Amino acid sequence: MRIPCPYCGERDAHEFAYLGDATLTRPDPAAAEAEQAFHDYVYLRDNPAGAHEEWWYHANGCRQWLRVARDTRTHAISGAVAARVAGEPA
Amino acid sequence: MADHSSHDPLAGIPFDRVPPSGAYGAGGAAGVTVATTDTPFIALVVARNGFAASVAGRLGRAFGVEVADQARAAIGAASTVVGTGPGRFLVLSKTEPDLAGTLRALLGVEAAITEQDDAYVTFDLAGDKVPDLIAKGALIDLDPRVFLPGHAATTVIAHIGVTLWRVHESGWRLLVARSLEASFTRFLVASGAEFGLRLENGTAGRG
Repeated sequence: MRIPCPYCGERDAHEFAYLGDATLTRPDPAAAEAEQAFHDYVYLRDNPAGAHEEWWYHANGCRQWLRVARDTRTHAISGAVAARVAGEPA
Repeated sequence: MADHSSHDPLAGIPFDRVPPSGAYGAGGAAGVTVATTDTPFIALVVARNGFAASVAGRLGRAFGVEVADQARAAIGAASTVVGTGPGRFLVLSKTEPDLAGTLRALLGVEAAITEQDDAYVTFDLAGDKVPDLIAKGALIDLDPRVFLPGHAATTVIAHIGVTLWRVHESGWRLLVARSLEASFTRFLVASGAEFGLRLENGTAGRG
């Protein structure tokens, strides 16, 4: 599996560390339902068959976090953008 | 200088010691020469948010080279600037003992500077067989038709993190963390023995 790093170019997945779901948003800790919202945010994960967005850290390269679009059925990677850049993977 | 047979070029060399200078593997003219004798002054420049382009421009003007915010090595007579990540540059100098101080004066609040003089061992690889040697440990395409002079990469070779760039047609420079010098040298010797490898060690760090 090769990940198209925006800075380094195509790199082997062994250079990266995987974090997980990149679609979650941290809840507002001041909200009334904050406790339940944080439980869901920390523990509950979907397990989609198909398109997925996830965080990968390019530890043995440019040391940047990437938001990668991957198909969980085929491992086909359709794009990656630096986490510091807002927006969708290409 | 000792000659080491091609049967087992590392026989009798403790795994935690840097193999000594000498000729390893196949006899005749060496296909690859490896030298760690050059000890440039090194510093890491990390641009603060929004200053990457400005820092690249200042480094380029100060050292007389073309610096862009990408994985390239800008090679000048006395200094080299290598991109290792967005807004991150390794600067090597032959002539600036206080390189970090010089860079702080040059860049001010635009970047964070850390001295790296003794952090890396500088491996200078030369010879037509260098791409064949490092291909045995690399995960990226270093074919001389693709990886051109001035191209740089931060990656792993033989599971060891390296920053490397192609200096000229048949010369490559690799920076490896100093504590991994023995392991990386063993990889070079074991992988280069079939081509004939001449190794020339440098001195230890400045301490």
